[in-house]
Amino acid sequence: MYKVRMRFSKTEEAAYLSHLDLMHTMQRVLARAKLPVWYTEGYNQHIYISVALPLSTCYSGEWEFLDFNLMTDKIPPEAVKSLNAVMPKGLRAHEIYPVKKAKPVRDIAYSQYRITYDFDGETPEGFIDAVHELFAREEIVILKKSKRGEKEVNIKEYLRGLEIEDAPDGVRVTVTTAAGNNNLSPEYVTKVIERELPQYSILGADYHRLMVYDADMNQFK
Amino acid sequence: MLNRKLKRILPRVQKPARYVGGEWGAVVKDLDEVDLHFAFCFPDTYEVGMSHLGSRILYGLLNDQDGIWCERVFAPWIDMEEEMRKADIPLYGLESGTPLSEFDIIAFTLQYEMSFTNILNMLDLGGVPLFAKERTGLKNLVVSGGPCAYNPEPLADFIDLFMIGDGEEIMLELTDLYRKAVREGWSKPQFLRAAADIPGMYVPSLYEVDYHEDGTVAAIRALDGAPEFVQKRIVTDLNTMYYPKYFVVPSTEIVFDRAMVELFRGCPRGCRFCQAGHTYRPLRTKSSEVLLQQAHDVLESSGYEEISLSSLSTSDYGQLKDLTLDLLDYCEQRRISLALPSLRADSFSLELMERVQKVRKSGLTFAAEAGSQRLRDVINKNLTQDDILNACRIAFEGGWNNVKLYFMMGLPTETQEDLDAMSALCREVAWCWRQNTPNRARGVKITASASCFVPKPQTPFQWDAMCTQEELQEKTDYLRGVMKTKNVTFRWHDSDTSFMEGVFARGDRRTGKALYEAWKSGCKMDGWDQCFDLQKWLAAFEKCGLDPAFYANRARPLDELFPWDHIGCGTTKEHLKREWQRSREAVTTPDCMTKCAGCGSNRLLNGGTCCV
Repeated sequence: MYKVRMRFSKTEEAAYLSHLDLMHTMQRVLARAKLPVWYTEGYNQHIYISVALPLSTCYSGEWEFLDFNLMTDKIPPEAVKSLNAVMPKGLRAHEIYPVKKAKPVRDIAYSQYRITYDFDGETPEGFIDAVHELFAREEIVILKKSKRGEKEVNIKEYLRGLEIEDAPDGVRVTVTTAAGNNNLSPEYVTKVIERELPQYSILGADYHRLMVYDADMNQFK
Repeated sequence: MLNRKLKRILPRVQKPARYVGGEWGAVVKDLDEVDLHFAFCFPDTYEVGMSHLGSRILYGLLNDQDGIWCERVFAPWIDMEEEMRKADIPLYGLESGTPLSEFDIIAFTLQYEMSFTNILNMLDLGGVPLFAKERTGLKNLVVSGGPCAYNPEPLADFIDLFMIGDGEEIMLELTDLYRKAVREGWSKPQFLRAAADIPGMYVPSLYEVDYHEDGTVAAIRALDGAPEFVQKRIVTDLNTMYYPKYFVVPSTEIVFDRAMVELFRGCPRGCRFCQAGHTYRPLRTKSSEVLLQQAHDVLESSGYEEISLSSLSTSDYGQLKDLTLDLLDYCEQRRISLALPSLRADSFSLELMERVQKVRKSGLTFAAEAGSQRLRDVINKNLTQDDILNACRIAFEGGWNNVKLYFMMGLPTETQEDLDAMSALCREVAWCWRQNTPNRARGVKITASASCFVPKPQTPFQWDAMCTQEELQEKTDYLRGVMKTKNVTFRWHDSDTSFMEGVFARGDRRTGKALYEAWKSGCKMDGWDQCFDLQKWLAAFEKCGLDPAFYANRARPLDELFPWDHIGCGTTKEHLKREWQRSREAVTTPDCMTKCAGCGSNRLLNGGTCCV
């Protein structure tokens, strides 16, 4: 059994798949591509896969990881190509490499997201400056929910840089948030803007993960 | 396909993946290179519609034609519909996002009566006028087919044309004629009149119905030389019939998410309550060689981990043993499991069961339908208590501990004794488990579920009264009282929905007005208990001056002219009448393999010989 990792992207239509949907879809992709994959040996035999840091439903991402096992001791040379030939729209494999050469998933510490705010045409005057000022504050307290309950935290402690710019499809915020054990959903950034700057009505927010980093801000692979 | 407006609302709805398309196997063509844009509409949610084999076959058939692009359209769930209406997004095809109103042909498959309001709602949400007479051109031709088309009358005001019988046989004749009509600039009436000359095509606007004072049908008159009787069309050879080599593989969970092959069409059994059993005749089978090839094709292209061998009575497939063995050779090494729905309790074997469970083990369901032998004879189920207990014994010995038993309440001639027998049978099954299970400590789950019997048109029980809601309620209450065996869970179906199903199953043209009123008052997704509102339906009928009980709860005399008598399902009315009479004497009729009952459907075959 040979553990391998696929780096892939999940965009467009595929953004709307839930984590569970993505798992099932990828199992079928692997079956269609006829890679020599390893199946679990229990009562309900299925292709073993594991997705690192699953995206929320409706989020897209271009730096995603899926681990699975091969029955062979090397990666078939055409693996990426044969997978891409049988992917549904919006899913794309970029590379496959052995897990033993990769970092463990627990090293993931930060995600970089691109949030696009939709204002139906013109960006409201002063919005970009107001967001700049807002996130320049030392402390912005939010109520953060987790499996262990709710607590008040300073969102600034979870952010590493925030940039904002005007773009043809809306206002783009690029933000790096804590991921892994102390994960912060980028939706809190939107919630803070909506709470502190209620004069601007955001019609829609699109979340796209650009990159994943370790604690030293090295690209995770 | 994804535009800004849609992207804005998708994060706000449940399961957005069902509204975006892009699945593996979805067909995308260049709109500039097609001359016929076809919307295949399933009037229920994506999860239900995508599970339907017939739709998959027709989707493949249409898209395999040059110049035709067939897209899928489903009914959005309540939350999505609300968001779409607020954002002014019309209902669209999943492949291209094209609004429904821009399609040339809009086809609805009619799987069950409670989806009728969804048809109106989908047309409305797609910006298409509801009434056939409001659509004056060839654009937006609304057509229909499927089981409910055997009584198309409640939809006569809304649908331009019904295709009766097997869709694979007739569909391309429709598209050919339509393309010719567009090319030559025909008017809509000109097209419809020509379509009516094609066998199996029913154009309701070419028929007029006269009624007696008591509300029954006096006469059905064909206008303008249209045929007096529209017999269904059938595929005569299933082996050469079109079958897709690929399936659309949903990226999100649906009801039956698996590959399927169809063993045969029609059913040799003749259960008297069953509409499919009488309208899919004559029996036509596929050879196991063809099935193996088709199974191989769809499994290779889809990556599915399960394949279902579908039919109305799978254990009646003559080569089942060889087929399952050959399939297992292929499936086992690929960890693909076999599903065999519709197994009869009297042909259930250990060998077969082991084959099915080889890869994955699922629950088992046996349709007993009625509790007593007398009542099972009335409905011609041809199944004894010993058959049922024997099947259960094999299952329990094999380690199964999850068995479901299906029953109906309110069957014609049913008495309290029959309900007592239902409870006694469940007790016997529970006892059978105690005696045969290799491991009592694991426990057992026996589920007995009872649905309400709804008399369907084109069956021997089309003359019968459906039980009133009060009667069905009494039966439910009684059963809840007597179904007290440990380990047996009793489930029952809500009679309100069944009542309306009963009304539209045998409704006439006038019920279409009530359908429209009900839809206007907000009825939709009526097959879903959380959406169904009986009071709104009753109000709609009252507004139209119609009594729903006239349609559902009235026993018909044997010589009554039915609203669907000009539609042929292959089986003759004489045969159905004979079967009705035999049912009153609790006399069974042997299955077609034992003896031909003379139903008349063999006349649709070349040479007149069924595949039994």
